[in-house]
Amino acid sequence: MAGRGKLIAVIGDEDTCTGFLLGGIGELNKNRKPNFLVVEKDTSVTEIEETFKSFLVRNDIGIILINQYIAEMIRHAIDGHMESIPAVLEIPSKEHPYDASKDSILRRAKGMFSAEDFR
Amino acid sequence: MGLSKTKEASLLIDEQLLQYMDQLELLQEKRATLNALIEQYASEMEPQICVQARTVENDAVEFCTERITVKNPVQNTAPVEDIGPKEEGVRRRIKPSKDTSGPEECVGGSTEKPSLNGATEPPSVSQSDPSPHPDPLRWFGILVPQTLRQAQSSFRQVIELSAEMATLQAAVLNTREQLKHCMKLCPLEEH
Repeated sequence: MAGRGKLIAVIGDEDTCTGFLLGGIGELNKNRKPNFLVVEKDTSVTEIEETFKSFLVRNDIGIILINQYIAEMIRHAIDGHMESIPAVLEIPSKEHPYDASKDSILRRAKGMFSAEDFR
Repeated sequence: MGLSKTKEASLLIDEQLLQYMDQLELLQEKRATLNALIEQYASEMEPQICVQARTVENDAVEFCTERITVKNPVQNTAPVEDIGPKEEGVRRRIKPSKDTSGPEECVGGSTEKPSLNGATEPPSVSQSDPSPHPDPLRWFGILVPQTLRQAQSSFRQVIELSAEMATLQAAVLNTREQLKHCMKLCPLEEH
């Protein structure tokens, strides 16, 4: 595992997960824990948040891709993540186009130009 | 003396600001490509791709994808394309009657040639994928629609782009921190 590098994890709707699994990122580890979560209508926010947090603490994950509309549900958890690894990338989905104004990183970057940063 | 120090600080901040803007611009560009690729398809498992994360200068993190290669990486078109002519040859040999096959034999003969070649070559269809990590496309069968192949190709590009964007995001946040630190140390005089 150590020599192989880190995994890319996905939290997304069915289409998004299918696409990335097709791309070859999927893994089920020895404990049968996947590196992806398919979010369906009945998936609870708690489950999403727990999965996200479990991805954060897994040291074999380098990047977490998350549909932006799902990221919105757990925004506090995403904003609270300040480490470089794993990197969290918000991506669009079929029904929810990407909105830069909601992106955690871009909001932080924008904050750079707020008045208090220049004081 | 104090003035030149302020000038130096200004230059440093300018430089970092420019770098910051460049990074943001690049991030935005890549973001647009990534979004376009995903939205286009807004349609047994071992990873075939992984990311290497390494810390570069100034504590910035660099991500790069790495395909986990096996002995024979699965070629996405060859096996499927070889099936057609081979089966065609077999069918033609069985169907025509012995006497009336004159003109048809030319066709049959021409199709037999590849089948003869096929006999000398290792059978392309039956050669099962030696890789322990089969191409995820195979989950959908052997003859998968072209659109699925295109989707796979797009998502592979997305994965590459994701690593680049993750690197840029880390760089943006890193530069932001440096810039903030710089400005705290040497605040610019208000005009």
